Amino acid sequence: MEESNEFSYPGMSEVIFMKAQKFIDTVLNWGRSNSLWPLTFGTSCCAIEMMTFGATKVDSDRLGVLFVGDSPRQSDLILVSGTITKKMARRLLNVYEQMPDPKYVIAVGACNISGGLYHDSYNTIDGIDRIMPVDAFVPGCPPRPEEFLDAVRVLQKLIKENKSKAQKNGKS
Amino acid sequence: MENLSEKLIKEFNGKLDAIKGQNNLNIVALKNKKLIKKLSWEIKNYFDILYTLTVVDYSPVFELNYVFSNYENDDILIVKVNLDEKDLSIDSITDIFDSANWEEREAYDLFGIKFNGHPDLRRILLPEDWPGHPLRKSFEINDEVRHWTGLDLKF
Repeated sequence: MEESNEFSYPGMSEVIFMKAQKFIDTVLNWGRSNSLWPLTFGTSCCAIEMMTFGATKVDSDRLGVLFVGDSPRQSDLILVSGTITKKMARRLLNVYEQMPDPKYVIAVGACNISGGLYHDSYNTIDGIDRIMPVDAFVPGCPPRPEEFLDAVRVLQKLIKENKSKAQKNGKS
Repeated sequence: MENLSEKLIKEFNGKLDAIKGQNNLNIVALKNKKLIKKLSWEIKNYFDILYTLTVVDYSPVFELNYVFSNYENDDILIVKVNLDEKDLSIDSITDIFDSANWEEREAYDLFGIKFNGHPDLRRILLPEDWPGHPLRKSFEINDEVRHWTGLDLKF
């Protein structure tokens, strides 16, 4: 008898375990997506719009994005806003690597999408997706603060559907 | 100010040319690059600060412009020095004008000019292992430069 050809149905205990795991994942993802504490990494004009995003009129707090951490070790999300030069790239990765593991990245502005105004320059990174996994992009030069809200909604949806880059890389 | 430039030109007999003189702006050209330190000592009593140091690339020749200034009367003295492409080195004046330190590092970073006797001649704007000197006319942006990040990336 060849055992390898036989299809074995999961037992009752395994089914219960899988269902429980899925339920726990759902609860965890719900919690994570609704309390994204950002680390602000502002290097130029996009950072001004990022401040507006956290201030009263746009009010990121109602999506659970609280600007309270200010330390990479307490943050889930890094908001990279502004041009990243090649010298800054190492500092950015240094900060990024200190964040605890289910970590998400939002790249803000044209410079971080494709290099923008400084595309093909000798001193800037043409889009930070060359150096780190990015979940959501915010287009604009600089973007309006409302577009940050959209990016956060996109990221929350990705986390709830288990599709963010961190979850795909098995680091959740 | 006029007395000073006349005195300088007399003192450096033939090695210093006056190019232009206005109310409080004087431009002189120094013919021998070894005299930059002596010139700096001479004008140290009158000029307080080196405002800026710029470099222009006229293909075989690199022109250095030292801009000295005086706080009291806003007098400005610009000293032009020509360097040959084959020997891009000149004496540092950091021990005479402190502000020359970072200016010379910038000129070294972007044009590759060596300043002899500089206490800490490192790159100031670009990463330290950057290949080449980007503001030279001969510098080309190729794929190596374009995709250079200086990082070991694994993800």
